[in-house]
Amino acid sequence: MDIIVSDNWLKDYLKTTASPKALARSLSLSGPSVDKIERGSGDFLYHIEITTNRVDTAGIYGIAREAAAILPRFKIQAKLLPLRTKSKQSFARKVKYLDVKIDPKLCLRFAAVLIKNVKIKPSPDYIKERLMAVGERPINNIVDISNYIMHEIGQPVHTFDYDKIRGSKMILRASKKGEKLTTLDGKTHQLPGGDIVIEDGEGRLIDLAGIMGGQNSAVDSSTKNVLLFVQTYNPVNIRKTYMNLAQRTEAAVLFEKGLDTELVGLGIKRGIDLFVKLTGGKPENTVLDIYPKPYKARRVITTLTFFEKRLGIKLSKSEISKYLNLLGFETSWNGKKLETLVPSFRANDIFLAEDILEEVARLYGYHNLPSSLMTGAIPDPLVDAPFDFEDNIKNLLSGWGGVEAYTLSTVPESSVETGALKLKNPLGKESSFMRTSLMPSLIKALKENTGEKEPFHLFEIANAYLPRKNMLPDEKMILAGIFANTNYREAKGIIEALLEKLNADVKFVVEDGKVFSASKRSIIKSNNVKIGQLGVLEESSIYYEFDLGLLKKISLAITPYTTIPKYPAQIEDMTLVLPSKTRIGEVAAFIESAHKNLVKVELVTIYKDSHTFRLWYQHPEKTLNNKDVEIIRNKVVSGLREKFGARTKD
Amino acid sequence: MQKGIENINKFTSIMLDVKNEALAQIVDAGNINELEELKIAYLGRNGKLTTLIKKIKDLSISEKKQAGGLINEVKNTILDALATQKNTLKESARDWFDASIPGKKPTIGHLHLITQAIREISSTFEKIGFVRVRYPEVEWDWYAFESLNIPRDHPARDDWETFFIDTPPHSKYGLMVLTPHTSSGQVREMMRVKKPPIRMLNIAKNYRRQSDVSHVPMFHQFEGLVIDEGISVAHLKGTLDYFARNFFGKDRKTRLRPHHFQFTEPSFEVDISCGVCKGNGCKLCKEGWLELGGAGMVHPNVLKNGKIDPNKYTGFAFGWGVERTFMMKAGLEIGDIRLLYSPDLKFLRQF
Repeated sequence: MDIIVSDNWLKDYLKTTASPKALARSLSLSGPSVDKIERGSGDFLYHIEITTNRVDTAGIYGIAREAAAILPRFKIQAKLLPLRTKSKQSFARKVKYLDVKIDPKLCLRFAAVLIKNVKIKPSPDYIKERLMAVGERPINNIVDISNYIMHEIGQPVHTFDYDKIRGSKMILRASKKGEKLTTLDGKTHQLPGGDIVIEDGEGRLIDLAGIMGGQNSAVDSSTKNVLLFVQTYNPVNIRKTYMNLAQRTEAAVLFEKGLDTELVGLGIKRGIDLFVKLTGGKPENTVLDIYPKPYKARRVITTLTFFEKRLGIKLSKSEISKYLNLLGFETSWNGKKLETLVPSFRANDIFLAEDILEEVARLYGYHNLPSSLMTGAIPDPLVDAPFDFEDNIKNLLSGWGGVEAYTLSTVPESSVETGALKLKNPLGKESSFMRTSLMPSLIKALKENTGEKEPFHLFEIANAYLPRKNMLPDEKMILAGIFANTNYREAKGIIEALLEKLNADVKFVVEDGKVFSASKRSIIKSNNVKIGQLGVLEESSIYYEFDLGLLKKISLAITPYTTIPKYPAQIEDMTLVLPSKTRIGEVAAFIESAHKNLVKVELVTIYKDSHTFRLWYQHPEKTLNNKDVEIIRNKVVSGLREKFGARTKD
Repeated sequence: MQKGIENINKFTSIMLDVKNEALAQIVDAGNINELEELKIAYLGRNGKLTTLIKKIKDLSISEKKQAGGLINEVKNTILDALATQKNTLKESARDWFDASIPGKKPTIGHLHLITQAIREISSTFEKIGFVRVRYPEVEWDWYAFESLNIPRDHPARDDWETFFIDTPPHSKYGLMVLTPHTSSGQVREMMRVKKPPIRMLNIAKNYRRQSDVSHVPMFHQFEGLVIDEGISVAHLKGTLDYFARNFFGKDRKTRLRPHHFQFTEPSFEVDISCGVCKGNGCKLCKEGWLELGGAGMVHPNVLKNGKIDPNKYTGFAFGWGVERTFMMKAGLEIGDIRLLYSPDLKFLRQF
């Protein structure tokens, strides 16, 4: 959470020579982070980020306490001026004006005091100005007192119209599911159950405790007697309630972080003082205070060696004590062992030796700690790591003109197969499922580039999320790509070249597939296992994809060495006239397998029905002469005639 | 030399002889002066061709016409040969070659900015023994939060705007989530390695429920995790300084400030000295420093969850945004970060 601290207000509790800039810098280096300093009218406003563990600094007083400990470390004088109260009320478990029953699991401390004959009017200017400075709108003296105390000490305070609490009775309990309550902003909530509520003597719910008061017990312009109300609630219940009801109030945000029970006493006394001063009200002499388990300081044990080892520096015992004492911890050394007592305002943050270490280290100054790389053994590499393989593919494809894209893993329902993982809280319908294929994403990517008239090739390596019962999904790494305005042979050639570079031995098998145009899809197989597909989509772009895990398995990381042939190859072109609708892939495959000395075949040109192939004849042990070649050629030609009805052309 | 021209055939044959003779001499000419002399010898007032032309008066009218065409052709051929030979002589004895012609480029491909960033980040850390890994993007709540010391109802969870998957919860591991950070890999890595040393670099896609000019619901983080005997804050600082020097530049430094994460104790916010003002303070930074991301010493509860003895081993971790870190390095100012995940070729082709 972010808070605003007024420099003027801060100076009520902090005596220092620090300039606002120096104060901000020192706090940021050793304590809460000051994001910026803003100039107010005759004031400086610090915007401070409060982390969830340091709710004790979520108020002017808490920041003063922190600054008083930190500034001397930067050689700047600073002293905390403690918040003193004038009220002389006694505290008791029972009072005459209110009969209260609480559930001690929900409410750790419950304090209230009746203040009679209040006069509702606007607050004095200095109160109004300070509230406005920290972003609060002044309403009237009663409401302003609550807000003032909350910003000052970080403790929410509530006020009831005492005369609206029927039977002067309160029962603090967990709500039952379905109970209804209207808060003072006029919203009626149907409670989920387990919320902290207060019921009055007639069984009416009058407070959604820790979040917002009930409308039926709210202070209004005719209120005479006010019940000043300060509590510590169980943070888990508060959080659940405001999340369920989407009712995130400033009070709730403080309570959910676990407040200091000792703060309740200070809050009520400060409240009494302000009520007397600003409303002229008359407080009762006894404050009701139900506090079943008063705070007992937690003991944390550490050792000198622990500090030195974890920080990599030498520290003296007195230095450690000094830092901790500045922060409100009591310390006592016994040899090298340090016993620390945790102050109440740090009770929800400090449990372990590591927590004490953090306090010492930040006051010592993280910026003062040494810096050195670790020595020690280097861990073993990951077996079968996929990263180099993926990088190699990306290099090859982009080297041949491919453009890599990163598209979102979340897609609309229309893009996934049934059973796909559905998001419980998506940002919108367009991103409500985890994709099961990259195809819809790439088709969408292509459509977003329709203005492009030149050929292009987009590709991506990313996961598809295939659902599994009672398990995390199978995250399958997929390579997919799409070609636009591209000739089929050129697109296929890139895929063939990729497979060749990866030393993947595969077969293209023509087989129709969903979303691909009829007869325009090939399955890419290795040892009869499908590892990918390539084909022309209905909108005429060319799409391919591979299961990268499978592709990696069949690829050889290192190209196998074959002896360099001693005898040169005879190379010749052969032009074939083929009947229409002949599959050229089959013709090429036939030629290649026609004779063991035919080592390579390539399709060179196509002109109408004439297809020119280049043939490499080679023998491992001799140079083939024209006669040898002719024998092989004749075998090929007659085979082609028989199988495909092909005629040769000179 | 011929005395008279009886008919067109004779004339033609003589003309061709003259032409061939001229061409042969032109090709043999070794300098510009020789070419000038040849030009006069054939085309001058008393040149061989000029003299021949004068003789066509003996021919018949129809033959004269035919001869005229031939004369023009021969004259042009000789002129062309003279010009060509002149150019050849200028270029001395070399073959003509125009090196100034624009090349014919292959189609240029592009690796995505994020791929480039990931490569640089991994190579920097791999040099000091980090092992790159990858863990589930769809993960159990236990790995993403609970094992990291963030219980179900802890307000710290608000820092991660988490997406949940609509499936029944696992009896032990809770709900299924989209990993909001790479820290989900910490306990998985401890369980994989079992016995330190651990120097993990986990780079992965993360998901958070926010979308505006500086947030994309899907983004990338890199997470470092080091666990061994005797690891201290000094080692964290050393590693971060190493990264700053090698990734950002040798004069860059890092600085730690207090922060809070449930899974580290102490926790830090890491700043890097501003590369623009060299740490003196400017418009781009906060008094000479820029925020990089979070880090801290691994919380003993997290080590315990990863079945590592916190009394024997200590460690540190850091996890930062890939996009942000890379843009800080490259000085790229991409106004709307969501552009990174758009397939717009006008964007992708820039890198």
